[in-house]
Parts: sequence; C-alpha cells; structure tokens
Amino acid sequence: MLHKYRWYEYVLIYSGVAVFLTFVLAPFVEAFVVSLRPLSSLFSIPYRFITDDMSFEAYFTMWQNVPLLWMYMLNSFFIATVVTILGLICIIPAAYAFSRFEFPARNTLLGLFIAVNMFSGAVLIIPLFKLMQQYGLLNTYFAMIAPGTAFVIPTGIWLLRSYLVRIPKELEEAAWVDGAGKLYTLVRVIIPVALPGIVVVSITAFITAYAQQFIYALTFNSVNELNPLPVGLFQFFGRQSVVWNELMAASLVGILPVLLVYVFLQRYIVAGLTAGAVKE
Amino acid sequence: MGELQLRDVRKSYGHVEIIKGVDLDVDHGEFIVFVGPSGCGKSTLLRMIAGLEEITGGDITIDSKVVNDLPPVKRGIAMVFQSYALYPHMSVYENIAFPLRVERLSNDLVEEKVHNAASILQLNERLQHKPGELSGGQRQRVAIGRAIVRAPSVFLFDEPLSNLDAALRAEMRVELAKLHNDLDATMIYVTHDQVEAMTMADRIVVLDHGIISQVGTPLELYHKPQNLFVAGFIGNPKMNFIQVTGKHADENGIVVTLPSGQEITAKVSARGDVSGKALTLGIRPEHLTLKSADATIDVVPNVVEHLGIHTVTYSAVEGANSTFCSVLPGSAPAKVGVAVSTGINGADCHLFDENGNAFDRQVTVAALDPAEMHL
Repeated sequence: MLHKYRWYEYVLIYSGVAVFLTFVLAPFVEAFVVSLRPLSSLFSIPYRFITDDMSFEAYFTMWQNVPLLWMYMLNSFFIATVVTILGLICIIPAAYAFSRFEFPARNTLLGLFIAVNMFSGAVLIIPLFKLMQQYGLLNTYFAMIAPGTAFVIPTGIWLLRSYLVRIPKELEEAAWVDGAGKLYTLVRVIIPVALPGIVVVSITAFITAYAQQFIYALTFNSVNELNPLPVGLFQFFGRQSVVWNELMAASLVGILPVLLVYVFLQRYIVAGLTAGAVKE
Repeated sequence: MGELQLRDVRKSYGHVEIIKGVDLDVDHGEFIVFVGPSGCGKSTLLRMIAGLEEITGGDITIDSKVVNDLPPVKRGIAMVFQSYALYPHMSVYENIAFPLRVERLSNDLVEEKVHNAASILQLNERLQHKPGELSGGQRQRVAIGRAIVRAPSVFLFDEPLSNLDAALRAEMRVELAKLHNDLDATMIYVTHDQVEAMTMADRIVVLDHGIISQVGTPLELYHKPQNLFVAGFIGNPKMNFIQVTGKHADENGIVVTLPSGQEITAKVSARGDVSGKALTLGIRPEHLTLKSADATIDVVPNVVEHLGIHTVTYSAVEGANSTFCSVLPGSAPAKVGVAVSTGINGADCHLFDENGNAFDRQVTVAALDPAEMHL
C-alpha cells in the first residue's frame, strides 16, 4: 500500500491500541501480581505494584491445598477436546452441504442455526437437566460434553461454510469428472484444501468448549472427580476466606492448555494453501 | 473409439432456453472447436457433453451409447478446465494419478501410466513438485496429463489456453495439435479465440445464442460463410458490410448497386427474385485492392495503422454498417484525412439477403484451398 500515515495518525492509532490492550490485559497482569503475593499482604494499603515479599510459592502450595487440581485441568482439557472432535465430525459435512448443495429451505435452516446461538445455554439448563435425569446421564462426562457440542456446531457451520464457498467449484467438478464420489471428494480434496478453515473452527470450538463447561458441570455433575477446572476452582473458596493467590495461580495455569492448543494448531493457518489450484 | 452424436440437444434454466436444439455428428479422431461470442452457450454445451450439466431435451450419444443420465466417468470422457483445477495439496504425480486412484488400480499400474503420461507431456522432472511451484504452462500440462491417463474416447477442453500469455499460448497450441495426432483421440475444444479455432480445428462449430450457426472446416467458414453472423465472426479484422440494392441476376452472378451508384456483379448463385431488394454486400478488408478493380470505394481514413507488412485503415463509408476497414500493402500511401480509392472485385464479394442468409458463392473451397490445389 502506498498510503503512509502521518506522525499524529500513528499516535492516534497506537494510543487506541494501547487503550484496548489495557482493558483486555490489565486483569491478567493483576491476576499474575496477586498470584505472587502472600495472602496476608494482598489487601495492604497503599497499593504497591511491586513488593519485596513476592514469590512463586502459591504455584507450589496450590497442588497440596487442592489435591485434585491436576484432575480438574485434565477433565477440562478432555471435555473440550472431545467437544471439538465431535463438533468437527458434525460441522464439516454440514458446512460442505450448506456451501455446495441446493436443497429446499437451505437458507431458513442456516438462519435457524444462528437463532439457536442467540439462546444462552443457561436458558436451556432446566429442560436439559430433566432430560439428563430421565436418561440417567447425570454425573457423567457425557452430560457435560453433549450440550457443549450442540452449542459449538452452529457457529462452526457458519465459519466453515464461508470458507468452503471460496474453494473453487472446478476442483470438485474435476474430481467428479475423474470418477470420484461426493464422499471421496470431501475426504481427499475438500478437507485438505480447507484445512486452514477447519483449524480456525477447531480453535473457536475448543475455546468455546473450554469456557462454557462451567454451567453444565455445575448443574449436571456432582461427582468431584469429573469436575472441570472452573468448578474445581471453587475449592479455593473456604468458609471464612478465599485463597486468592492460589486461586489466581491455578487460573493462570489453567489457561496454559488452551495456549498450547493454539500454538500447535496455528501452524496450519497458513495463507495460500490453495496456491496453484486454479488460476485466479 | 470416440464417436459423438448430439440430437436436438436442449438446455433451459427456468424459462430461459440456453441451448436451443443442437445437432452434431463427430467422427472418431476429429478435432472439433466450438467458437462463439461470450454467452453463446459454447461452454454450457461442452459441460452438457461432459455430464456436468443436465440436459433438458434431446440425446447425447458417445460410441453409440446414449449417455444422457450417466455420470461423467461412465461416459468415457475426460475434461480439461480453463482454470486447470489442480489439487493444490497433491504433488504433480498424485494429481495425474488421481483418476487411477479412484479406480483403485494397483500401484505398479498407476506408476506405469503416470510416467507414460508424464513423458508425453515432458513433466518427468516435475512429478514431485506441488502445483503451486509450477508455471502456468506446466500447470496446464498437468491438467492435460490428468485427462490422458484415463485414455478416454473423447477429450473435452474448456478454453484451456485462455489463462496463458500470448507466447505460451502459441507454443501450447502446437503441443495440443501434436498431442491430437499422437493420441488419435477425438477432441472437443471450446474457445473464443479465432486463431486457436482456425489453426487447430478439423471442423469449427460456430454457435450463436444457443444454436449452431454453421459447421465447417476453417477455410469453408472463411470463404463460404452461410450467414452474416459467421461472416462477421470469422476473420480478423472483421468483414465489411455495405447496404446495396439488388438489380438483376444472371448466370455470372447478382448485379447490385452500391450506395455510390456504381454497379458490381457479385459472383454468387441467385436464388429467387432479387431486383429492388435491400441486400448486404460483404467484403473482407484484406480483399480490398489498390489496383484497378470491378468497382471502387473512396475511403477517407480516420485511423491508419502501419504494421510494416500491412497498412490498416479505418474509415466511415456511406452505406457501411460500422467502421469500414481495409488491409492494404505496407507500402500503401494511406494518410489520415486523405481519400484513398480502393477497389473491390466481384469474385471476392459475399452477398446476403434481407434475412442475413448468404447466396452461395460460385467458387469451391477446394479451388481456394492451397493444400488441395496441388492434388
């Protein structure tokens, strides 16, 4: 691009970015600072950002204080992974169908999927609870995975569909002329070409699943060993006081799996994977 | 074998008819080119033969089997797309092998066939590359390779060269013609480029709004266009048309009056009474001469192009439908704004009736075809 910004435009842009970043990142900084302080000096006045008694002690004591912490993290990771995989199994063929096939009420159905997303999961908690109770599914992983999966599918379909419609139709026509069936084409041609889009959908699904576990776990599960991290964190809430420093430490450690998944998957979000497919 | 018949083939989208009844017979080994302006239905017709578009009416027969409802692979065709449509995540080898993998052939057989195709197309060095690493011409060769490994009876090409630059296009044109000879296969080729059509085709099919305007060898279309559309479409620069009035007909041809009042005898076979009728005289720019001729037209050029070998002039002429073009020798003394007297010979003229249909010229194509003359 030829356009160059003037110095005051740069100042404006960067101060805008700074304001946003402050709002988004300040809680994390505060959480980190809190996790480093002993409980006794947390509420000292005047507030000081850096104090002498800082240490990583909370990161060690939290495992003793809440012995099942690692289990909660594992559960969270497990539930989010299964939700993502099950979600993808539904999303990929559905998004492909929505992007390529003409069928009655296609757009109405797409609209309905978005409408589902407008309901908060919380609205459906009571009916879902009755349902789970009827089928004896309460207090299982399934109770936390199934509703989670249902809620990642609509967004996933919309995201992936918009990626798939940009894949040139000639690729499928060529495969069709070469004798490949619809399923063969989907697996051998469309999915590899759509990989960057699928990765974006996976990341979104994983993060959504990781964040939304709380409400399902809280209502559908009362077995401590099955609890995911957000519910497990309640163990730091004592009768008298809250162990803030360990709570923050556990929260920050709990974010790590999501970061790892992101780092692992983002290698596949590469532009130009379709380079050379067709002449643009 | 690769014989193809189209019988009254039709295609409509809703109430709009795109292909309005096409009949065509193609023999084994022929190179047929579909040409026409954009929107004439040439690509649609090709996709109907391929099985990518359903046909609304009529029959498509390949090797005496009606294939209307068969999927592409069962029709014995292979298609090369304008945009190449290569699979970007697969190597050149896997791209060419794709149709064979679908058929679940053994690895040995696949390797043999892919190498065979690759050596015909000189792609041996490139087999392990991805399509993204190839040049336009190489990508197009890979697309052709994918078509030839299946040894189909009919090859279909949908404007395969239109994405290449001019030099490469000329090169690929020669390669395709050679490939046609080597493979002894029937090829149907869609293009909007006249040069491709004239140079490669055994026969050209000119399409106009979903109907076949004329089918014939390249020289037949050039020398004996059956109507105004073909006359105006084939040839570059395009034929000049002048409004004339019919006077009388005799065994020498039809005598017509030019807008300037001169008379000229067009060497065509008369049909019905022409006296007093409004007719259209067609004369190709390259047939205008500076020597003495049967009639003359004074042209005052607006634009003069000196190409060295030729001098091309564009001018407004009384009675002409559009800009009147003449292709004169490179030494012609043409200047903008200075009148040039150009001559027309009756033997070079085309004459069309009020419906745009041509009167048959009194020459045979064989007499005009240099290749035939020495036989």
